[in-house]
Order: sequence, then structure tokens, then C-alpha cells
Amino acid sequence: MKRIIVCLKQAVDVSQLKVDPKTNQLLTASAPKKISDFDKNALEEAIRIKEKLGEAEIYTVTVSSEDAKAVLREALAIGADKAYFVNDPSFQDVDTSATAYILTEAIKKIGEFDLILCGEASLDSFSGLVGSRLAELLNLPLIASVRKLTVEDNTVVGERTLEDAYETVKAKTPALITVTREINQPRIPSLMMIMKASKKEIVTWTATDLNIQKEKVEGKIDVIEVLAPKTERKKIMITGENKEEIAEKLAKALIQEGVVGR
Amino acid sequence: MEYWLDAVQNKEKRTVFDFTETENQKLIVKSVKEFCERYLTAEKIREMDDKGHPYPKDVAEGLCSLGIVMGTVPVEHGGSGIDWITQSMIAEVIGYYDPTIATAAGFMAVETGWGFTIDRHCSENVREKYIKPAIKGEKFVGIATTEPAGGSDVAGFKSTAKKEGNEWVINGEKTFISGTEECKEWGGGYWINVRTGPMQPEAPHRNMTSFFLPIDAEGVEIQEPYRDAGRMAISTGGFKMKNVRLPDEYRLGEENKGFYYTMEGFDNARMLIASSCVGVIQRVIDEAVPYIKDRKIFGRPLAKYEAIQFELAEIYREMEALKLMAQKTAWMQDIRYQEEGMPEKTSNAKTFKPTDVAKWISLIKWKGPSLALEAARKAMIWLGAAGYTKEYLLEAAWRGVMSYVVGAEGGLNIQKIVVARELLGKEFIPYK
Repeated sequence: MKRIIVCLKQAVDVSQLKVDPKTNQLLTASAPKKISDFDKNALEEAIRIKEKLGEAEIYTVTVSSEDAKAVLREALAIGADKAYFVNDPSFQDVDTSATAYILTEAIKKIGEFDLILCGEASLDSFSGLVGSRLAELLNLPLIASVRKLTVEDNTVVGERTLEDAYETVKAKTPALITVTREINQPRIPSLMMIMKASKKEIVTWTATDLNIQKEKVEGKIDVIEVLAPKTERKKIMITGENKEEIAEKLAKALIQEGVVGR
Repeated sequence: MEYWLDAVQNKEKRTVFDFTETENQKLIVKSVKEFCERYLTAEKIREMDDKGHPYPKDVAEGLCSLGIVMGTVPVEHGGSGIDWITQSMIAEVIGYYDPTIATAAGFMAVETGWGFTIDRHCSENVREKYIKPAIKGEKFVGIATTEPAGGSDVAGFKSTAKKEGNEWVINGEKTFISGTEECKEWGGGYWINVRTGPMQPEAPHRNMTSFFLPIDAEGVEIQEPYRDAGRMAISTGGFKMKNVRLPDEYRLGEENKGFYYTMEGFDNARMLIASSCVGVIQRVIDEAVPYIKDRKIFGRPLAKYEAIQFELAEIYREMEALKLMAQKTAWMQDIRYQEEGMPEKTSNAKTFKPTDVAKWISLIKWKGPSLALEAARKAMIWLGAAGYTKEYLLEAAWRGVMSYVVGAEGGLNIQKIVVARELLGKEFIPYK
């Protein structure tokens, strides 16, 4: 295994996302950004593969219209060797199809690789499409939603998480794997890792550098509105003579609401 | 006017009034926060406070794996080589996530403040055997100066060391020592100060020499730990030294100058405790604010009442002042060490005299714990009966920070004496 490419999205930190109380709109512009959690798992898995095999270069690729240097520095601190940043104002409204296209062009320019690792979905938009689209565009075997990954010589074996079962799939490298949160616990970079990272390279490319065709990054999806779901408390008070009666009423109410006992 | 501020990022030059964190500092703070959110959750802190010492070794090792314990120790000595400004930022985060201050006491003030100072003055052998393993979390190093008859009053120090050949024979007792149980379990040792010449009543600080005392040295008798009021996760105890024989290479610095080296250690430990208190106060605010906004009394949220919101505003104002003072002090300490040259001790300090720095350190050591205590006390009152319960960490913070008001690393009043001494002159020191 010579080179592993990890696709990293700079996502909105949804845990710190605020909602306009009047319009119910999500205040994404002011929300802090971070590496999408799933992508961090992908990066951690790449580092573990490198540690196990002894050698491999780990490159990250990030597509964004905004500044994402802080996120890339963090990725380098965690253990990536080099970060590629594809940054262009024209990428502001890119959808999953355009993102996959830009990533494809960037990866082609990077050159050879053995494995591409992505998060199975992003933390903020959670469409889960970029990884599979990227595999299609690069004509690579895809193992999606992998919770356990084994790399041997020129093959990868991934254990996939399905609705009610696990599926083990084997593929030849080069291949593309999307990972779930349960695959690992990402490491926290130490002070020395952070300091060493400041000497690592961040390569920045624009749309022109990659000969990106404008019509291919124009949004094919119109997002009409993104609103926080309105949840109103039902304020049902359950009373009864004793604990057993209250518990029974509560259980009935929960079943009736479809919360439990489907 | 430009000063070197940050050893983290390529020794860059920055202007004095730029308070922007460097990219590395942002990442370092983020890492420490992530660690704390994973391993020092409110539930974990409550569990540690209820269970008491010894401090959980896995958490200590985790903190060490980040490189934040003794982070200021040079890289070639096993540390991370960061500056004091960055170390203070780390201490602030630690104080926030563990407002009982046990973690800050054990691993910022004691291990970092004192460990760094031991590293500055110890032999290579002591460094290899104790400092480097302590940086990894394998051992514990700390400070043991207080004696039954004196802490800040060094005239009361009775422990002695007598030289026999190339060895020192040490006798005496140390008490109110942080981390004795951790040190006993994990191995390690303490910075001790003992008399190596007659006590001079007019200058009791003279004729004292510092040593590194391994906790397992023959003749060390560890006493039962005290039952503290707070910061329960780290132990406080004491030990007797009966004819303990230490090779001369366990001496820290020059003979009979131990007091001065010890003051350097106090400077570092006090600075980090003050920064930790900034974090404690912010946590107190963050615990209390949602409650006072939510809890209605006489038809209005508690936060609507000026008696409460004005106190909150005052605490916030003082916390921000403390933070600025603590950052300035750390910056002064960075300049002091830069000019002295690390790790060797020289007398090249140009910009600030060590007493200038000591004055600022006393200002923040005085302000930090007392302000944190006041913030926790007030917040408990805002919350009423809820504030008195263990549902909130306010009471644990209140019990914990009290330790730094009553005496740890020098009590409240001794800080006032240091500040007044610098303002009025040595001839106005009250005890002379």
C-alpha cells in the first residue's frame, strides 16, 4: 500500500448550530466548522492501516468555497502527510454530484493511489452520496458503510453495516471505502503532532488548476428551504394510584405514539 | 514594539497587543477540549469527586499522552517545548472541565509547574529516572516544602541535610503535600527543601538546599492522607524522612540557594493555578446561566433580577480581568525564561526582574482562587437549594478552589505581602 487518499469535508458543527427562533431557519453561516465526524473516522482508519503496514502516504482532499485551512491543519496534526485543498468561490453551491466531480479531477491530478477512504455521509447534509459517486466516476470498486476493514496485499475486506445484518465484501485495490462512525475512535492529536503538522504541506488548487468545467459544478438540485423541525411538547401528565398503574399508562401512551413497540 | 511570544509556531514575532491565538494554539486548545469532553465529563468528575483519590491513572496517562503535562519542558528533555502562554491556555481548559480543580492541582500546578522547575535544576540521572517517566504519566513528581511548623514562614523549617562524603543524610518531616498517594502508587518523588546550614533568624531563607527525594528512598515514611474538604481526586498527605541517604546528584541547583529555586517553582505553579481558575469561573458561569434563565420565581426568570444579573456581570468582568492578567504574567514568564536561556539558569534577565514577575504572579494567585471561590459561592446562592446539591458541580468547585485560598502554593495573605513588598520596599515586610 503506497498511497491512501482520504476525502475530508469541512462541515458545519451541527452540535453548535443555532436556529433563528422567528423564521426557524438554520444559521449555518455563523456556525463553527469542523472535519465531518465520519471523515475523521476515515482518516483514523487510514492512519491505522499505515501503522499496521509500516508505510503508506496519506493524502487528504478537501473541496470548499470557504477557507478550510484550520480543518486541514487538524487533519495533518492527526496524521495525514499532505493536504490538498481545492478552493474556489464558484464551489459555493455545489451538490454531491459536483463535489464528486471536483474530487475526481483532484484525485486524477494527484496521481496513483491504492485506496480512497470517505465517511459514509457528512455530518451536516448527510446525503451519503459523494463516496459512491466518486467510485463511479473513478471506476473503482466500492464497499460502502464499512465498520471493519482489513487490508491484505492488494485486497481489502470490509464488513458492511446493513439494516439488520452485516455483510463482508472483498475487493481488489485500488478501491473506495466509505466508513461508519463505529469503525474506530479517532485519535486526539498531541502537542508534538500539532507542532510537526505546521511543517507539512498544504497544496491549494483552484477550479482553473483542475480545468473544472463550469457547467459541471452548477447545482442540479434546488434547495428551496432548510428549516429546523418544529417540535412542540405535548405536555401530557400521566397520573395514577400507584407506580404500576402509571407505568402501564406511560407504556400505552408510548406505544400509541409509535415511540416503542412497533 | 514587538516581542517573541510563541515558541510553538516557529518562534514568530508578534506585537504585544495582539491577543489572537496562533493556529497551533487553536489546535492545541481544541485537542485538550476534545480530550476533556471524552474523558473528563461532568459525570466522570462527579464520580472522581465522590470516590476520592488516587487520581485515575488512565486519565493521567491520557493527559500526558497529549504532551500537556510539563508541556514547557524542552523537547530534548521529553517535553513539548511550548511556552507559558500556551501552557496557561491549557490550564484554563483543564480548570473548566474539572472545576473541582483536582486535575489542575495535580497535573498543571504540581506536575507541570514543579516538574518543569525540577527539570531545570536536576541532574541527567534524575531527569531520566523521574522527569521523563512523569511526562509520560508513568510516575508522579511534586513539591514538598511545607513542614508542621512552617509553610510560607520558612523560619519554621526544621528538616535538615548533612553531607557525608558524596551523600546527604536527610531528616525531617513534610506535610500537606499534594499527590502522596499517587506518588506512592505510581512511583516518583518530590522537590524538598531542607536546611544545610544554621537557621539565621534575620534571614531564615538562607542555608536551605533543594533536593529531589524519590518516594521509595529508604527512610521515607508516608503518612495517611488527610481527609480534605475538596479536590477529592488528588490526595494530600505527608511523610517523614529518617536518615534518608541521597547521592549528591539528587541535589537541585547550588547548595544553600534552595529558597531561590523554590520561589521559581512557586512562580510556575501559582501561574498555572490562576489560569485554571479562569476556567473554573467560566464553568461556574456556564453551569449557572441556563438555570437562572430557566427558573422562574414570582413569575420572572431569576436572571431578570438585578441582584443576580449584576453579580453575574461583576463576576464576568473580574474573570476577564483575571484572564488578561494571567496572560500578561505568562508572557512575562516567557520573556524571563527566554532571556535567561533554557534550560540553564543564568542571570541575564533584562526586561523583567524575577521579582517583577513574582509580583504579577502573586497578583493572579491572589485574585484567581479567591474570585473562583466567590463565583462558586454566589452561583450556589443564585441556584438556591439546587446549588447546594451535587446535581451541579458548583459545590465541588467551591470546595476545591478553597484549597488554593487557604494555602496551597502559598495562601492568600502571603500573596498580598509579596505585592505590598514590591510596592513599598523590603523594609515594610510585616514579619521583619
